[in-house]
Amino acid sequence: MAVPQGEETYRIRIARSAANGIGRGVQEFEVALEDRMTVLDALFRIQREQDASLSFRCACRVGMCGTCAMSVDGVPRLACKTGVRTLDARTVHIAPLPNLPVVKDLVISLEPFFDQWKRVQPKFRPRDPNSTELARIPETSAHARNTPGKRDCITCGACFAACGVKSTSGEYLGPAAINKAYLRLMDPRDTAVDARLAVLDDERAGVWRCHTQFNCTAVCPKSISLTDSIARLKRAMLFPRFEKL
Amino acid sequence: MSAFAVQARKYRRQFSGMTAYFIQRTTGLVLLVYLFLHVHTIRELAGGPAAFNAALARFHSPLFKLLEIALFGTVILHALNGVRITLLDLGAAQGSQRRLFWALAIGLGGVIFLAGAIPLFLNAVLRS
Repeated sequence: MAVPQGEETYRIRIARSAANGIGRGVQEFEVALEDRMTVLDALFRIQREQDASLSFRCACRVGMCGTCAMSVDGVPRLACKTGVRTLDARTVHIAPLPNLPVVKDLVISLEPFFDQWKRVQPKFRPRDPNSTELARIPETSAHARNTPGKRDCITCGACFAACGVKSTSGEYLGPAAINKAYLRLMDPRDTAVDARLAVLDDERAGVWRCHTQFNCTAVCPKSISLTDSIARLKRAMLFPRFEKL
Repeated sequence: MSAFAVQARKYRRQFSGMTAYFIQRTTGLVLLVYLFLHVHTIRELAGGPAAFNAALARFHSPLFKLLEIALFGTVILHALNGVRITLLDLGAAQGSQRRLFWALAIGLGGVIFLAGAIPLFLNAVLRS
């Protein structure tokens, strides 16, 4: 088949699996794509033109929802934000996110991710739950200084999938949940401090399991410095006089 | 770009923290093996000076001198990367951990290694 002008042929190798995640091996597709197209565009083109049974998830298509996170060339990324040209290869390897159970093809279950998320009590717990007063956060406060850029998590699971510790420990909370706990602990209005610290200080699940590999920070599509949040919590627990929560 | 080049670039740039972690663990294991060998040799002192000298004589071959140079490099990498991790844990240079790894552990480590390894090679290996 002739390749339309302005398009180039890419070989897309996709790790397929049947329902319930039973592996079926890798299937290769040849797709003509424009350079500005994304991995998600390639998947749609394959689904539309070659194999309608290919399963993957997406929603916003602009990198806001985190639904289309998958492993592209061995790196967890958002398919909608990954341009095929940026991969520097005519063959692209796509697989479901590691460290999470596969439902079918590229669809994974985020249940283990949110199980850990729930353990840190992500909900804001104010002193007065009925208060309608607006919070005033001084610019000079630790909350204002240390949390910008850490609030943008879209719960895509990329950090959870890239974490080397998570791949060997089911109990570890994972970077996103720890970052969420950090944000809550930094909030002076929040009251569930002891409950969260108890989980974060846990020998098998807490922050001490992090080996500072920076994989989570490297893959976060929102550029959140997750390793920094974990390091800050470690210091706050070890040296509370120097690192304030 | 070849698949190998893509992987090499990935671990040089995006996942340099993982590369540093892998190097730290590997050099740590090598030093652990060396420690056992070291203690085993020192133990020969219990058999008297002759036994100890005989044990040391094994390490005078050019092969062991080359291994000594490799050990020197391993210690430097492990120590400087350890300094990097300590700095990161103390909250310094979180944003530039990648640069710290390549500049401190690999860059400065390489210079120190060459400064020590070249005289060692010239004096110990070539003249033995």
